[in-house]
Amino acid sequence: MLKSKTFVKKTRAGGVMKIVREHYLRDDIWCGSEACRECKQESTVLQAEACIESNLCPYPHYVVPDTNVVLHQIDVLEDPVIRNVIILQTVLQEVRHRSAPVYKRLKDMIQAKEKLVYTFTNEHHRYKDINWETYIEREQGESANDRNDRAIRVAVKWYSQHLKADGLKVVLLTDDQGNKEKAEESSLVVYKFDEYVKNLTANPELVDRLALSKDDKAEIISSKVLFPEHLPLSKIQSGIKSGTFLQGTFKASRDNYLEATVFVQGEGEESTEVLIQGLQNLNRAVHQDVVAVQLLPRNQWVLPSSVVLQDDGAAKDDDVDGDEEEKALRISAAEAAGKPTGKIVGIIKRNWRPFCGMLNVSQIKESTRHLFTPADRRIPRIRIETRQASTLVGQRIMVAIDGWPKNSRYPNGHFVRSLGSAGEKGTEEAVLLLEHDVPHQAFSQNVLSFLPKMPWGITPEDMIKRQDLRHLTVCSVDPPGCTDIDDALHCRELENGNLEVGVHIADVSHFIRPGNALDKEAANRGTTVYLCGKRIDMVPELLSSNLCSLRSNVESVIGLKASLTYAEAQMRIDDTNKKDDITESLRGLNKLAKILKRKRIENGALTLSSLEVRFHIDSETHDPIDLQTKELMETNSMVEEFMLLANISVAQKIYDEFPDCALLRKHPAPPPSNYDILLKAAKSKNVEIHTDSAKALADSLDVAKVDGFSYFNTLLRILATRCMMQAVYFCSGMDSDFHHYGLASPIYTHFTSPIRRYADIIVHRLLAVAIGADITYPDLMDKHKQSALCNNLNYRHKMSQYAQRASVAFHTQLFFKSRGILNEEGFVLFVRKNAIIVLIPKFGLEGTVFFDSKDKAGPSLVFDEEGPTLKVEQTTFHIFDKVKVTISLDDSNIQHQKIRMALTEPVIPGVSVAAPDVEPQAKKPKVDR
Amino acid sequence: MATVKVSEAEKVYILHGIRDDLRVDGRSCEDYRHMEVETDVVSNTDGSARVSLGHTAVLVGVKAEIGKPRPLVPDEGYLEFFVDCSANATPEFEGRGGEELGIELSNTLYRVFNNKNSVDLKGLCISAGEHCWVLYVDVLLLQCDGNLYDAISVAIKAALFNTKIPRVHMSSDDEGGKEVELSDDPFDCVRLSVENVPCIVTLCKVGHRHVVDATLQEKACSVASLIIAVTHRGTVTCVKKVGGGSLDPESIFEMTEVRVDDLSTTLTFQNKVNGLLFVQAGKRVGKALHAPLMKLLQQEESLGKKREKVGFLG
Repeated sequence: MLKSKTFVKKTRAGGVMKIVREHYLRDDIWCGSEACRECKQESTVLQAEACIESNLCPYPHYVVPDTNVVLHQIDVLEDPVIRNVIILQTVLQEVRHRSAPVYKRLKDMIQAKEKLVYTFTNEHHRYKDINWETYIEREQGESANDRNDRAIRVAVKWYSQHLKADGLKVVLLTDDQGNKEKAEESSLVVYKFDEYVKNLTANPELVDRLALSKDDKAEIISSKVLFPEHLPLSKIQSGIKSGTFLQGTFKASRDNYLEATVFVQGEGEESTEVLIQGLQNLNRAVHQDVVAVQLLPRNQWVLPSSVVLQDDGAAKDDDVDGDEEEKALRISAAEAAGKPTGKIVGIIKRNWRPFCGMLNVSQIKESTRHLFTPADRRIPRIRIETRQASTLVGQRIMVAIDGWPKNSRYPNGHFVRSLGSAGEKGTEEAVLLLEHDVPHQAFSQNVLSFLPKMPWGITPEDMIKRQDLRHLTVCSVDPPGCTDIDDALHCRELENGNLEVGVHIADVSHFIRPGNALDKEAANRGTTVYLCGKRIDMVPELLSSNLCSLRSNVESVIGLKASLTYAEAQMRIDDTNKKDDITESLRGLNKLAKILKRKRIENGALTLSSLEVRFHIDSETHDPIDLQTKELMETNSMVEEFMLLANISVAQKIYDEFPDCALLRKHPAPPPSNYDILLKAAKSKNVEIHTDSAKALADSLDVAKVDGFSYFNTLLRILATRCMMQAVYFCSGMDSDFHHYGLASPIYTHFTSPIRRYADIIVHRLLAVAIGADITYPDLMDKHKQSALCNNLNYRHKMSQYAQRASVAFHTQLFFKSRGILNEEGFVLFVRKNAIIVLIPKFGLEGTVFFDSKDKAGPSLVFDEEGPTLKVEQTTFHIFDKVKVTISLDDSNIQHQKIRMALTEPVIPGVSVAAPDVEPQAKKPKVDR
Repeated sequence: MATVKVSEAEKVYILHGIRDDLRVDGRSCEDYRHMEVETDVVSNTDGSARVSLGHTAVLVGVKAEIGKPRPLVPDEGYLEFFVDCSANATPEFEGRGGEELGIELSNTLYRVFNNKNSVDLKGLCISAGEHCWVLYVDVLLLQCDGNLYDAISVAIKAALFNTKIPRVHMSSDDEGGKEVELSDDPFDCVRLSVENVPCIVTLCKVGHRHVVDATLQEKACSVASLIIAVTHRGTVTCVKKVGGGSLDPESIFEMTEVRVDDLSTTLTFQNKVNGLLFVQAGKRVGKALHAPLMKLLQQEESLGKKREKVGFLG
């Protein structure tokens, strides 16, 4: 039967359009219940014995949540206890419209077989009795929401009538009082969602996950208004149009909870940052929200403060508005001529996700309201309500924000789930993966279905298309324990005396065909993430360490003669007695690599430095037992040199072939202001650094030496590294600047690691098309799609680096936990207003030494921006100053374990601490967990 | 134009019949054939109507769109007409065959309906000089059996009666920029007043008499006809002569009844005089046409959703 749906829409051009859609009703939509004898369905979802332990509904029943219940209480609905749920099409559509993340979770829930969730397409359901049709038309004077609520009630009514004879009831769950009353009028079984959940006798813990409903919120918060009202969206939009407001992404400061910047994307390349200071101006914005800012008058502009402020300690009363901290901030920032400063006037889009963190249990014993401290410092603390506080103490938990009323100091949220005990490796790993948005779930069946069938072998067709290189002496050189080997090399002398070098890369694109689930998953993951002792693969293991990985003595087109580690290769080269093919080949490679490197450096390639730490992991406990900074051997650089060469050659080839859609990698030259800190630091040691070009920088870094300070050059290179920009992937059709600053190459891409980077797979495909070995597909040639892909790859790459760093930091903590207090030598790397940041070369560890503390009067601090120097009492700290510090794990606050550094040398009375004189290892037994 | 061939004998028969006020199908000179009106027949228009008169069938759709007012009348909206002569109506319309007739019809319709005496054009204005509603009136000829003007005008009046324009208001921000805001209730609509919308009466001169609602045969016997647009009060808003023949200079004394300024300027003085008798008849017929039409439309409207739709197949 045909009906039509009519609505009027405003077009983008400002016109008004009437849209009529055909709407068909059909009579083969079944109820999905096992108990039903009327519907002619083949399979059912809902059980006949749908029982749940409940005081409220002891009878068998199905539940029907309304849209708002799904939107706000999805955390509870997802619990395995809640089963036999009917999701109406009306609800599904509304959820889809209002929140994409919730919609995805709802879809996942529907797909999970054991959840027993049935979607009933009530909007298309036609029943033999016209009075029981579940499709309704909007009536005159009825709002769209009212119509949907009525549609839900009509569907529930149909269901209860339909299943009456089968002894089943249907319970409508809603949080809306009006809807509830209307449902009661038409004699439906209806409960408030919290009412229903609180009466589930077997599962009291579900109550904690309830999102606060509006009336609950009202009772917690004091009446005092702390924040200015947010403007409605329509006002914001007109304000943005007229230029009174700016739209941007809110980025909270990691170091100072009262400070944030709003990143405003301008026309084209232009973008500005607006500084926001103070609770009132921050106005409840949370990191990553899209907000509207209003600029303050120029005379109120300030500079970002260099104070490190953390919001910790007891929950602050809502009515303490003039925080002492805030005042301190204001005064320090009152120096004139600042950066553009503004205040948040409204939120355009919240970007809330569930946050990992820990609970601060309230001091009041009986209280069920507690503060939650997220692991990410940029997220404010969240107030949650839970009865299981005592069990949750010491656990890493996830909490979602429900809302932030204008009269509450903290946002309100609810408990989602527990990840495990804090400090345990598994838990912490889960936290850091979640916090860095690293997709780490096991590969789905759908993805795995696209893997080649085992046992896999080379087919005759493959042999025709490919060149057999198995007679060559190819070997791989990799770090020890590497299982995903994707590159290998060979070198041989030709008859004319020239040397032929081959760079062999695994052809992953042969196995991952464009557009399938495997490809999409890999494109989304973007990169393999390496944590300490753990690898999160981009492609399933079968590919990463089995099929694609080039292993010696395994049947493949490239026959590896040997898989060597860097050290093994180095030993072979150095051992003058060895004269076999592999060794000769390695020597040839090494010789060429040196020439290549020299040329590259002459061109101005930078050799920068950052300390990489490697942990020796105990084979049984998997705890780190020792750590050493990675040392580089000649062979490392040999392999690197050839990979660079391969990457550059491939970049040139694909760019020549596809000038519009080649995926390349660039490294922009940093703006001169980035070098300020480096120049200042060098100047303090009377060393001059030139930053006009990469070449000048490289040369001046090479000659920068200070007598009696051998580590100075490394420190300087570490600082220089911090000045650099991030290298990014981009699509050649969307950009004109291709230069790679760090490598001093006019063009560059990633080609050599297709197992662990998705960019390489795309480059492989482009190359395959360029040489006629494969066919192209539309997305590959679409520069906009490629550009979008690059954005994701850049994001994933950045997050994977952060995750890696976080993993190292965590392992460092584990390491120091077993070591007790150490006294080490270090260098001042940065000077801040109230702290110095110290680098310990031995551990590659950076830490902050604070000079002020909240509980007692701090020493006098004089900060000089120019140096920059910090004068503490009588002692002045400069960058590069050698200091001695004690390092210990501060686990007094289990919420945030951190490495604590305290000054032992130079001695400043009242500030520095005494050096521990005994070797602490002997004193403290090794903690074994 | 669709024509039929009529033999001399037939002509004489028709002429003589009309002289005695008796037409071939039994009607008297001022009788219409059976007429059917149905509104709201095309769901994706803002108003629509279908009219059949004898075997003549027309469909009219009204689409309201936001446009810019004409510079000379910044506070008024306007109507646009388009007549599509489909080859369904007659094979002569195939290809571009119907174009000329279509243009002629739409020009006449524009003249008849697009003035503030017929339609409340000021009511179509949203904000003076910037936004107004433009009503696109699309006429589709489905079958031609004579008397197109009358059928089309009735269909237009019915379609305008049926037209529901979404209610909009202007929102303005501090900067003075204005934007059209739409009400989100699809039932929140504005109706047009069709009280003054005229109907067209075509009078065909056959011999010395005139007939309304001529069939194709009668038309073939006529040398000239006069179309007169009449409102429900009997006000003539437009008079136009079509056809090659001349009209008799009869009954000059009746001229006083019609004010000269009611007449369209397209008419030469000579023709004005000639047409007076016709005008009198047209006024009479037109006035008689309005009352039952309005009654019918209101009756249909009051049925609401219970109304059974007939469409073209019914």
